[in-house]
Amino acid sequence: MRNIWRNGLIFTAVVVSIPLILLLLIRFTPKPPIVEMDYAREILSMAEKNKADIYSKRLYTAGKIYYDSAMIAWRRENMRFLYLRDYEKVLMYAELSAKTANQAGDNSVSSASNLKIKLKEKIDNLHDLESQINGQFTTYPLTSEIRNRISKGKMLLSEAEIAYKNGLYLQANRKITDAEYLLTASYDNATENLKNYFKSYSIWKNWVDKTINESKKNRDYSIIIDKFSRKCYIYHDGIKKYEFEAELGKNWVGDKRVSGDMATPEGMYKITKKFDSNKTKYYKALLLDYPNDEDKEKFKSEIARGTLPAYAKIGGLIEIHGNGGKGIDWTEGCIALTDNEMDKVFKIAKVGMPVTIVGSMVDLQYVENR
Amino acid sequence: MKNKVLMGLAAIAMVAFLSSCGKVPQAQIDATNAAITAAQTAEAAVYVPAEFAAVQDSMKVIMADIEVQKSKLFKKFGPAALKLDATLAAANKVAADAAAKKVEVKKEVETLMTEIKTVIEENTALMKKAPKGKEGAAALEAFKADMVTIEATVAEAQGLYDKGTYMDALNKVKAAKEKAVGINTDLKAAIAKVKGATPAKKK
Repeated sequence: MRNIWRNGLIFTAVVVSIPLILLLLIRFTPKPPIVEMDYAREILSMAEKNKADIYSKRLYTAGKIYYDSAMIAWRRENMRFLYLRDYEKVLMYAELSAKTANQAGDNSVSSASNLKIKLKEKIDNLHDLESQINGQFTTYPLTSEIRNRISKGKMLLSEAEIAYKNGLYLQANRKITDAEYLLTASYDNATENLKNYFKSYSIWKNWVDKTINESKKNRDYSIIIDKFSRKCYIYHDGIKKYEFEAELGKNWVGDKRVSGDMATPEGMYKITKKFDSNKTKYYKALLLDYPNDEDKEKFKSEIARGTLPAYAKIGGLIEIHGNGGKGIDWTEGCIALTDNEMDKVFKIAKVGMPVTIVGSMVDLQYVENR
Repeated sequence: MKNKVLMGLAAIAMVAFLSSCGKVPQAQIDATNAAITAAQTAEAAVYVPAEFAAVQDSMKVIMADIEVQKSKLFKKFGPAALKLDATLAAANKVAADAAAKKVEVKKEVETLMTEIKTVIEENTALMKKAPKGKEGAAALEAFKADMVTIEATVAEAQGLYDKGTYMDALNKVKAAKEKAVGINTDLKAAIAKVKGATPAKKK
C-alpha cells in the first residue's frame, strides 16, 4: 500500500515537473524580435509598392541592406546555444531598416508626385513651343539640320508622353530633357536666324512706302515682292490691286551677294525689258535692272573687305517670269508666277515700272504674333 | 526501480522529441529560390512586376518565419514548408506569366511594325499627291523631316526588338506610329481640301 502511494507520488512529481521545467526553459529563452522584423518587412514592402526602389533608390537600398543584415544576424544568433542568443543586433538592424524604408517610401511618394506635376508642366510647355515653331516657321526655310532636330524633339516628346501615361516618370523625364534641349535649341536657332533676317526691316519699310507713294504720285502701277510671305503685289494709284503667289530663288533668305548664290535680291528696281513667249523659256518675262548702283557698291565693298573672293562675279538677269505654281522655291534668284498671273502682270507692265523686292512688308513682331 | 528508469527515459525522450520536432525545409527553400531566380531571368520584373514583387515578399515572410521557428525551443517548420510549396508554385506561375506576357508584347510590336510600315508607305505615296502651295511646300519639308525621324525611330525599335527588349521597342514604335498616323491624317485632309476646291484655270 505504501509502495503504491510512493510510486504515485513519484509519478505525479515527474508529470508536474516536466511541464514546469519546460515552462522555465521557455521562460528564460531570449525573445527574438519577431514583431520588429515583421514591421521592418512590411515597411520595406510598402516602400517598394510606392516605387521607392526607383524614386528614392539610395534610401530604399539602405533599408533593404539593413533588413538583410538583420536576417543574417538573426540566423547567426539562431546557430548559437539557445540561452546564449542575443538579438540586440537583429533588433537594431530591424529598427534601422524600418526607419530608412519609411523615409524612402515617404520620399518616393513626394518625389514621384512632384516629378509627375513637373513633367505635366514640361509636356504642356513643350507642346506650346511645338505650336510656336509650327506657327512661326511654316513658310521659313529652316535648314534641314534644324528641321531634323525639331522632328527628333517632337518624337522624343511623344515617347515621353507614352512613358508618362504608363507611370514611368524617370524614363519620361529623361526623354523630356532631351526633347526640351532639341526643341529649345532649334527654336532659339531659328529665331536668331529670323531676327537676323528682319534686321533690314526699317530699310524695307522705307522702300515699300516710297514705291507705294510713287505709284500714288504717278497714278501708275508699281510691283512689290514680299519674299517672306511669297507674295507679288500690284499697286495702282497707291492702292493694292492684285496679289499673287510668288516663287523665289532656292536660297531666298537674305540679299543676293554673288552670281550663282540662288538668292533673290532685295532692292528698288525697274523693269528694263519685256520678253514675250518666243523670247524666254519661262513663258513670259520682265527683266529687272539688277544689279543697280547700290548692289554694285555693296558687291565691291564685299570684295574689298574680303568677305567675297576676288574672282567672285556679281549676278544678273533677274526677272519676274512665268512657269510658276510649282509650290517650291526653285528659281536661280528670279520671281516666278503662274502663267495665268504672269499674263496679268505682263499686260500692265512697262519698261521703267518700279519693282521693289523686300524681305518682308510686316515686322518680326507681327510675324511672331500672327 | 525498473519503472522509475523507464519513466525517466520516457520524459527525456518526450523533451527531445518536442524540441527537435522538424528540420529546416532546405530543399524546398532552395527549390523556391531557384524558381524565383528563373522568374527573374524570364524578366518577370519587367513584364509582371506586381506579381513578381508579391512572390519575393512571400519568400521574405517565409524566411522570417523559419528564423522565428529556429529561435524557439520547440520548432515547427510544417507551416513554412506548406507556404514554400505555395510560393514555389506562385514563382513558377509568375515565370510562365512573364514569358506569356513577353510573347504578347513581342506580337504587339510585330503588329505595330507591320502597321507602321504600311502607314509609312502610304504617307510616301500621299506626299506625291499632296498640294504644293506656298504653305504646302514648307509643310511638306516638315513632313519629310518627320518621316525621316519616324523611320529612324522604327529602326531603333527594330534594334530593341532584335535585342529582345520588347517593352522598350513597344513604347518606341507606339510613338512612331502615333506620329505617322498624324501625318497621314494631315496629308489626307490637305489633299481632300484641294480636291474640294475649284481647280485654277491654266493656259
